[in-house]
Amino acid sequence: MLLELRNIYKSFGEKEVLKGISFSTEGGKAFGLLGRNGAGKTTTIRILMNVFPANGGEVLIDGKPIDYSKVGIGYLPEERGLYPKKKISEQLVFFAQLKGMNRTDAVKAVDYWLNRLNMTEYRDKRLDTLSKGNQQKIQLVTAVAHNPDIVILDEPFSGLDPVNAMLLEEVVKEEIGKGKILLFSSHQMNYIEEFCDSIAILNGGKAAVCGELREIKRSYRRDKLTVSSPQRELILNDPDFSAKYLDGGELLITLSSPEEKNPVMRRLTEKYDIDGIKVFEPSLNDIFVEYAGERE
Amino acid sequence: MKQFKTIFNFELKNYFINKAFVGITVFLMLLIAAVMFFPRIAAVFDSGEQTGSADDRAVMLVSADTKETAELAREVFSSAFADYEVLVADNKEEIKQSVSDGIAECGFALDGLTSYTYFVDNLSMHDENTYAADAVLQNLYQLKEMTAKGVSPEQAEDILSVEISHETESLGKDQFKNFFYTYIMIFALYMVILLYGQMVATNVASEKSSRAMELLVTSAKPTAMMFGKVIASCLAGLIQLVCVFGSAFLFYNLNKSYWSDNMIIDSIFGIPLDLLLFMLLFFVLGFFIYAFMYGAVGSTVSKLEDINTAVMPITMLFIIAFIVVMVSMSSGNVDAPIMVICSFVPFTSPMAMFTRIAMSTVPIYQIVISVLVLIGSVVGVGVLSARIYRVGVLLYGTSPKIGSVLKAVFKA
Repeated sequence: MLLELRNIYKSFGEKEVLKGISFSTEGGKAFGLLGRNGAGKTTTIRILMNVFPANGGEVLIDGKPIDYSKVGIGYLPEERGLYPKKKISEQLVFFAQLKGMNRTDAVKAVDYWLNRLNMTEYRDKRLDTLSKGNQQKIQLVTAVAHNPDIVILDEPFSGLDPVNAMLLEEVVKEEIGKGKILLFSSHQMNYIEEFCDSIAILNGGKAAVCGELREIKRSYRRDKLTVSSPQRELILNDPDFSAKYLDGGELLITLSSPEEKNPVMRRLTEKYDIDGIKVFEPSLNDIFVEYAGERE
Repeated sequence: MKQFKTIFNFELKNYFINKAFVGITVFLMLLIAAVMFFPRIAAVFDSGEQTGSADDRAVMLVSADTKETAELAREVFSSAFADYEVLVADNKEEIKQSVSDGIAECGFALDGLTSYTYFVDNLSMHDENTYAADAVLQNLYQLKEMTAKGVSPEQAEDILSVEISHETESLGKDQFKNFFYTYIMIFALYMVILLYGQMVATNVASEKSSRAMELLVTSAKPTAMMFGKVIASCLAGLIQLVCVFGSAFLFYNLNKSYWSDNMIIDSIFGIPLDLLLFMLLFFVLGFFIYAFMYGAVGSTVSKLEDINTAVMPITMLFIIAFIVVMVSMSSGNVDAPIMVICSFVPFTSPMAMFTRIAMSTVPIYQIVISVLVLIGSVVGVGVLSARIYRVGVLLYGTSPKIGSVLKAVFKA
């Protein structure tokens, strides 16, 4: 299954929120939708889920306009919330039924997922008697119980302890393994880096960068070097190189242009005792700050 | 449709597991049972003992210029005011003193037969003693004057006590008979719509404030959500009404013989079937039109605290409709121009048209037009509400202005 968003435009009143967002992803892959607060991630997700229509552009599945009666979508909203005063199993079955399951299947699926997330003991409890992390696990059930084709997780890891985070990681990998399309939205870059094959960073209503994470990293300007050397202090004070400390004791040398790479490497090895030297590869965090940082 | 059914079942079940809902219904049924069984129970206690001694009656004093007049007045007042022990006082001052000391409840200081001063401690709103005294004294004066003019006392008595017999045959509706059940039904309509309307609004707003809405809007169509909620609460309201009125009917029939001399109760339970059906029709339509509006308004607030101010305009509209109908009912003129207008305006017609049907004779074509206008408005308001709901539920922060919501609705 191939999901494509093409040239999505959306404005609320005078305010243009999305100015032509496009990206695509396919089954068995995870996609990271990134961007600063207010960049339009939730709006994009809501358009994808048909909560409101876009002013322009289209959502396609395998090249055809999406048919919401056939494509199941599961959603874990960033703003968590269910019925606080209602029995957990009751509301989970209700939501699964709303998503089109019949009652028997819904009950079965809810029981399966409560068991999978080690939550069976809370089955007949009221939601507001649970801790925040456990409520979040309950909320996750609403996103996956009806066996959707597309699973959208907005900040899925926030508020989870490390054990639960690991459990969620397993679940996410399972879902990807089942060939589903996973759409992540998160500010926790380590998780995005771990799961997502492709990303889009939204900025100013547009996708500032979009594509395979590996490619994005590779195409990042190759104008920085990481250097490890016993003579760090000397290099740091050498006006010939603009160097600074990196975490872990290495040095980062910024080049005036990518073409400087080989000459600088040569000069460094001639002048100092060098243990290792390589072109700096940015983390997703660096890429995010670069593309999402400045607004148009 | 499947979503509607799921939501409808979910919402309806919520009412039936709601302790307050069940509690109030059971309480009302018990209250009605207590009222309906009261005469039977009272009869059991009463049967043993006779009514108490004759003279725990209140004291009424009379005084006059002459002793004879005072004695005469005492006699006629005694028969006219059976609830009082009538005694003669020496003069005005004694009456004043006794009344303010609480020895006597009231007193008449006669000044001849044609004028008097009535003394009473606190003049009650329902004090009709002066009317009775006027009649008695007038009669006495006429009798006295006639005998003085040569008519024999017997003849004079005959002339004065002649009784006019009459019969009334109402060709349309008997307002007096219909008044009580119309009153009760309008009141039930008012209570149920107001209560359940607010409940729908609160329900929507709490889903929004608990953020369950985030998931709901992405899972179900707003029309399915709106209609599921409103129809479920309508049914819950109807079931509650049926429980309350049904138990009243049942307990009344169990105790019918004890209520036979109570005209009001008799009239209430003598409600014709066709009127009950009209009640059902106007209840359902009136409920829908208001519940939709309440739901739409509920969707525009983010915090539960804001709900009361937000629903105020709707509640005011409804209260005004209620007051217009109640005033027209009490005045007896249910076909006044304002009522005729109100019976075609969709927001007031459920109560106004029902009142007119119950208490007057309304041409069929008017009923048909009113119902059709109402049905059309229900559909219109329903669709508009669902659209407001769709826009409203995603708006957080300060309550938006009506204008901006409507603008967003028509743009979307």
